Amino acid sequence: MNIDLTQAALKFTPFHNRTSRACRTNSWYRWSGYTVVAEYSTTELEYTATRNGTSVMDLTPMYKYEIKGERAKEFINYFVTRDLSEMKDNTVAYVIWCNEAGKVVDDGTVFCLNQNEFKICCAVKMQTWLKDSAEGFDLEINDVTDDIAALSVQGPTSCSVLKNYGAADLELLKPFESKNFTIDGYSVLISRTGFTGDLGYELWTNPENAEKMWDSLMESGKHLKIRPMGMHALEMVRIEAGFIQTGTDFVSTEHALRPVRMRSPYEIGMGWLVHLNKKNYFIGKRALKAEKENGTTERVLVGLDIEGDKPAHGAVIYNKKKEDVGIVTAALWSPTLKRNIAIASLMRPYGTKIKEDIFVEIYHPEELEYKKIWATCKVVRRQFYSPERRNQVPAEVY
Amino acid sequence: MTTKYDVIIVGGGHNALICANVLAKKNKKVLICEARETCGGLLTNDLTNFTPSFSNKVKSEIDNISVDHSSVSTIALSETGHHLKLTGNISEDKKTLEQLAPEDVDRYFKLQKKLSLFSKTLGAFMHSSPPRVLHKSFSDYFKLFKLGLNVRLMGKNSFNEFARMIGLNIADELEDNFKNTLLQGLISHDAITGSNLGPRSPGSLINLLFRMANHGNSLFGGIQQVKGGVNAVIKSLEENIIKRGVEIKTSSSVKRCIIENDQVKGIELDDGTLIHANTVISSADPKSTYLCLLGAEHLDTDFKRRIKHYRAKGRVSKLQLVLSKVPQFTNLESKDLSQRLVIAPSIDYIEENFNYSKFENLSPEPILELSVPSVEDESLCHNGNHVMNVQIQYAPFNVKGGWENKKAECINNVLITLEKYAPEIRSCILEQEFVSPNDIEKNFNVSGGHWHHGEIQIDQLFMLRPIPGAAQYKTPVTGLYMCGAGTHPGGGMTGIPGKNAAHEVLKNI
Repeated sequence: MNIDLTQAALKFTPFHNRTSRACRTNSWYRWSGYTVVAEYSTTELEYTATRNGTSVMDLTPMYKYEIKGERAKEFINYFVTRDLSEMKDNTVAYVIWCNEAGKVVDDGTVFCLNQNEFKICCAVKMQTWLKDSAEGFDLEINDVTDDIAALSVQGPTSCSVLKNYGAADLELLKPFESKNFTIDGYSVLISRTGFTGDLGYELWTNPENAEKMWDSLMESGKHLKIRPMGMHALEMVRIEAGFIQTGTDFVSTEHALRPVRMRSPYEIGMGWLVHLNKKNYFIGKRALKAEKENGTTERVLVGLDIEGDKPAHGAVIYNKKKEDVGIVTAALWSPTLKRNIAIASLMRPYGTKIKEDIFVEIYHPEELEYKKIWATCKVVRRQFYSPERRNQVPAEVY
Repeated sequence: MTTKYDVIIVGGGHNALICANVLAKKNKKVLICEARETCGGLLTNDLTNFTPSFSNKVKSEIDNISVDHSSVSTIALSETGHHLKLTGNISEDKKTLEQLAPEDVDRYFKLQKKLSLFSKTLGAFMHSSPPRVLHKSFSDYFKLFKLGLNVRLMGKNSFNEFARMIGLNIADELEDNFKNTLLQGLISHDAITGSNLGPRSPGSLINLLFRMANHGNSLFGGIQQVKGGVNAVIKSLEENIIKRGVEIKTSSSVKRCIIENDQVKGIELDDGTLIHANTVISSADPKSTYLCLLGAEHLDTDFKRRIKHYRAKGRVSKLQLVLSKVPQFTNLESKDLSQRLVIAPSIDYIEENFNYSKFENLSPEPILELSVPSVEDESLCHNGNHVMNVQIQYAPFNVKGGWENKKAECINNVLITLEKYAPEIRSCILEQEFVSPNDIEKNFNVSGGHWHHGEIQIDQLFMLRPIPGAAQYKTPVTGLYMCGAGTHPGGGMTGIPGKNAAHEVLKNI
């Protein structure tokens, strides 16, 4: 394929030669300055690969930062709300971090490579925030997004695919652990993490090995229902898993133009990641403590189980008296669960104390006409889909 | 952990001493830890020429300071020899101006009256903690309301004039009113002195109002010389508080505050000694307090950003000349040399100087404020020789080329300038001692080497001083307070930050 790189406004990932060849629809998605595939063939097929076989997704555009120095661990523990003082080498932790007002800047994963070296992987550009936060810690902080080729390999057969690929004893890797492998002479970091709510792994390697890695993976999964997956299918699986997405379910403080649009962790279902009894100070701790003590949390992020089968994209939520009490941030007719599900941000006490008599107003387009549906819904656990195999050790091998 | 104190004050500047005095009067057990061999901080005869006396509100709360004050006049030097001497006394000044600037007489007193009203109105606001905005507390709203009311109660015309002038540059106001360039230069000098503003920089007027508020709301009155220099004031303050049971440890540099669970537990000295107290007050500048004493790991990112952006680069250097004899100044008697002499003959002269400093260069013809106080007060002689104190405005922090290479050039520029008024000056010099803002930073532990621990500008004053979120002498950490010039109402020898901080502390312990 002849692509004039000088004309490209967006960067290509190291997998571009492979993904563009596999992409039958020429459907692209703009992600953090890169172009990635939105849909390879049909979104439903790609979705099904994740749930029934293995999907491979190009994760390279996720921002990645390396943090090195003697006080790296102390810094990470100050940077995020979660208590990571016991974090061990070769483990991964899901974290959020806040600003001084206790509002969420972003969520992401922290990789502990060793006690003096960490990587943070996240959705929002974080170089300035990290650097300014690290003021006084004497650390080296580098944006390594372009230096790592990243793939997500997810689905029930993913462990088997990766074993075929050469990752020996991978089934013993526990969730949120990572391990370095040497495969075909190059080094790959495999972590048991993902954004699909299923058994799955993420692979990091040097960009020069990207195409080799892609080819070997496809070859290894030939008989295990492997398929590349685009961004549209990812949106489906992540909603089923109840994972929140910055920019969709909440606005990062770095992007919010209006201070009232910023959200505290308690407002986006991330309270479990805030460890107020952590020994050291962390950014936003004073504000979060005050919020907790004074009960000033305004919103709550919940799962909704909605009647009918019309997805409630962007729908407004009402109470019995038809007062507006919230909004749907993400919605899906779940093919696996056969339920009409949604993630929604509600004004408390709706969603916390009041879980009944809540309605969504769905405008469903039907051939140039909107059909207005007034559907009742139930507040449910946001994690709609979580199969046992997701956390099983040893992982399922076929 | 050794002895137990109610309060530990880090640093022994005059604000710290006054803070200690107010606290000790309320029977608090106070320890002061000063890094240098002596207390006083930036108030030392080596740096400070003149002082206003403390305001009555400060005096009423501390023990009596036994020093002799004498008023000092300001003399704007002119190369032509027609020097302009202003005392703050209306009839004397009128006579002088009628002679030298007859067209400006009425307007001078009108301006003086107007500015005096403004500085009084703002000055009334200096003696209590500034209100917290967005804090929804009644007393804070009340304070804001009172300030607004005071400003409004000046009357409609004054109110409009205040609103017009508050962000104004001093040059515009003076050029509109005065013909005499020497007078323009002198007033401009007092508006920009110690700051990083030129006479044409917006906001230079508020700097002047601030200065006036600390000098009895007068343009040139209220400037005083103390017998024995400012060291005498510091000595008296020290004696008073020692009598009250305050302990002072000199040569005791504080390494850090001990923090447990977001609460201060004491301090650690450089030598590793731990001293326990649940209240620690830092008289250090904001950057040193937060980034060194407290530590970045106790602060939020946004807070660190604000502290980092706090403007505190000093622009004033000091030259002390030990003289073999009192030099002859054209058209001045030798007793005049104990007065405050200013070399800033016009607005353009100052603005050109400012341009050099803006790009961190030295001006070949600097702005000087000088005096030979030993002419009047023999105790200020050095080994029996007279000492000339020269203050050089716009000799910037981090000068291009570095002070170690630029010192000689700067001193030469000063002498070239002085020679225009005192041709024999060079032949009188026995010794010279130069202190750059970088030296102030190093020797006095003031980051940026700024006189006032930070610019006196509208975004760094009142409830914004030093930064929003930490403007009531409090810090985000429980038990840690600030009482230095970096807090409301700012620098200068006023003692008000120290006094106000003590009240804030007393509310909480």
